[in-house]
Amino acid sequence: MAQRALAQDALLALRRTIAGIEGRLPETLSQADGGTVLMRRHGRAEGTGEHFATGAAALDAVLGGGLPAAGMTEIHGAETRDGGAVAGFALALASMVLARRPGPLLWVATGDVFREVGHPYAPGLAGPYAIAPERLVLADVPRLADALWVGEEAARLEALAAVLIEVGGSPARLDLTATRRLHRRAMLAGRPVLLLRQAGSPEPTAAPARIAVAPAPAAPRHTLAGPLARSIGPPGFLVAVDKSPTARTGRFTLEWNRHDRRFADRSCPAIPAADSRAVVPLSADGEGAAPTPFQRMAFPAGDGTAAAGGQPSRPRRAAHRRR
Amino acid sequence: MVSHRDRGAQRIAAVDEAAAALGLKRGMGIADARAMHPRIEVMEAEPEADRRLLEALADWCDRYTPLVAMDGEDGLFLDITGCTHLFGGEKAMLSEVLTRFFHQGFDARAGLASTPGAAWAAARHGGAAIVDPGGEADRLTPLPLAALRLDADVQAGLASVGLRTVGAIIGAPRAPLARRFGAGLLMRLDQALGRVDEAISPRRPVAPLSAERHLAEPIGTMEDVELLVGLLAGTLKADLERRGEGARSLELGLFRVDGAVARVPISTARPLRDPALMRRLFHERLGVLAARLDAGFGYDLVRLSILAAERLEPRQTDLDSRTDMLEDDLAGLADRVAARLGGGALLAPVIQGSHVPERAAALVPWTPGPALAATPGLPEQERPIRLFRRPEPVSAAAEVPDGPPISFRWRRALYRVARAEGPERIAPEWWHEPSDTAERDYFRVEDETGRRYWLFREGHYGDPGLPPRWFVQGMFA
Repeated sequence: MAQRALAQDALLALRRTIAGIEGRLPETLSQADGGTVLMRRHGRAEGTGEHFATGAAALDAVLGGGLPAAGMTEIHGAETRDGGAVAGFALALASMVLARRPGPLLWVATGDVFREVGHPYAPGLAGPYAIAPERLVLADVPRLADALWVGEEAARLEALAAVLIEVGGSPARLDLTATRRLHRRAMLAGRPVLLLRQAGSPEPTAAPARIAVAPAPAAPRHTLAGPLARSIGPPGFLVAVDKSPTARTGRFTLEWNRHDRRFADRSCPAIPAADSRAVVPLSADGEGAAPTPFQRMAFPAGDGTAAAGGQPSRPRRAAHRRR
Repeated sequence: MVSHRDRGAQRIAAVDEAAAALGLKRGMGIADARAMHPRIEVMEAEPEADRRLLEALADWCDRYTPLVAMDGEDGLFLDITGCTHLFGGEKAMLSEVLTRFFHQGFDARAGLASTPGAAWAAARHGGAAIVDPGGEADRLTPLPLAALRLDADVQAGLASVGLRTVGAIIGAPRAPLARRFGAGLLMRLDQALGRVDEAISPRRPVAPLSAERHLAEPIGTMEDVELLVGLLAGTLKADLERRGEGARSLELGLFRVDGAVARVPISTARPLRDPALMRRLFHERLGVLAARLDAGFGYDLVRLSILAAERLEPRQTDLDSRTDMLEDDLAGLADRVAARLGGGALLAPVIQGSHVPERAAALVPWTPGPALAATPGLPEQERPIRLFRRPEPVSAAAEVPDGPPISFRWRRALYRVARAEGPERIAPEWWHEPSDTAERDYFRVEDETGRRYWLFREGHYGDPGLPPRWFVQGMFA
């Protein structure tokens, strides 16, 4: 028996060495007795780590338990003018992390993103997200390369509770390699890193989860006498997971509950008509597209439809982004 | 030949050897000079450029001593006390300085003495360059009174009573001289003779600690420079440990072979002693500066100075040293970011006591450390999570007189408002702003898709004058 175990051990060691030489990662190691298969990457088991449950059961199931506590998660919005909802969703996740981890939240972005989408506003973060001003640090850097550098430096620090990197568009520099570097550092430090792409289309990424966020109408405020008509209550988010560790995708309408610091599934959307539209372009037609530059205006310049006063349909805007 | 304007006429400010051979002198009128020699070449003086050149030379002289002072428009004082042995004695040092100046194309004169006054006289009035200690009086006796750095009117006064050399007043009774020509004369004399101490005023403060390396073979690549920084930091570490201090502010001086000097300053968030960390900080900084730093033919002297140090208590590490490590992590991050991107890259929001939204939160440079006491005065009303630095004007249609907007056009796109909350009136702060600043009515609005914005109206409908204006100031989640 002992001999068999030893042989098994030697075999596993050999396999690991060979996998290392071939650069074939993650290696798949089957355990001797139970026959369970464990995916390992750089010595850490993947998909088994700690998660921050978001509170929305369906989203947690798709993400394999919630927001991964160690590693990168990509969040993107279709347009700059959705920046409020995208940032709001990311901050809600960060708020859950801050509640359980010490240290500040570092928010990295280039100056032009801050100017285009707006600077983080501390008085607005304290109420709905319970992010105290002294736990927020901003890095306002001149170029994307600097933002990625600061992000990488910060991603490996255990002293930070979480890192939030915000970029505009889908720059060529932020490719599979760059995202892998960020993801790997975050994984080793055991800290979540959130990558926000404002006005970015789905791109190949090394992050295990990619989430598209769009705004959804807010629920009315609740009073003792029932919902208050035409009031703006807890914010709503249309969340589409198009890449996840569990290889499942899904679309949800969530609502942020500021008192419990968790998301809630909104089973019956406040305004159903708004939910029937497609939220994000399918990743299939985004494939092979050239990296899009950061769309400066919330709306492309010189658009005849806009001048006429109407809103162009969603497919039309997607065409603009790909141009 | 160089001319400048003096007392209403163009006069000769400086002459080269060829012009001197023609008999032209400083102070002569240009018109007279042209009359004598019509073919002379005259250039306008540029005092600013001369000043810059002299400062560059002073920078270069930092290699000999940290105490370099400017002397008028055309001279430098170097306090070489305690530095001569590094260059093989006074004589060898003097000849090295002069040789190097000569190779750079300067015609320099030098004097070396125990007092600045005597050295000045020796440099400007000929004779042996080195004045032995105690020999100042003998050396100065035959020199004209100008060698004492006197004002022109004092000099003229002395000349009018027949006193023309320094020797004439060394022996003269002091009281009458002081009464007639002022205390300045005797002070200058005493300074030159060493009876009174004279301090020169160095251009830059002396670093408490510095280490340098002279290189026989100049280096040009940044990797070599970084390697040297590591070595020098290692030398400084022992000194810092002895003093129980850590560096808060460092400066790397790179002396190029041809005389140009580059200085790279770095400051740290906490006292620093570890050579590897110092090297890492300079690695980041030099990486950014690489495009601007021109190594030319290479650097032949690299100096690492500690400009400011602070007490660094030896810390006893707990068995659980996690907290310390986390703090060090943050300070290290702040240092590296500051080294690469400047001090203003990392910012922390600070709540200010103001009702005006853009003034309610200020961003200040972030320093790691224990958080300040909880900030008071957070508004209870809903505030956006993102705020535009400047409110962006929109064209809006709204209910008259003070209703929420029905639709608005922002950044060329039209938004139809589905729901709105407000108004919340924020009056201008009269103690900050001009009295005619309009008050603002803020609305939270949600468009048909669910995007939530923060709009405000400045002014009122129906007021005389301009119609009210609408702005978008922020976005809600």
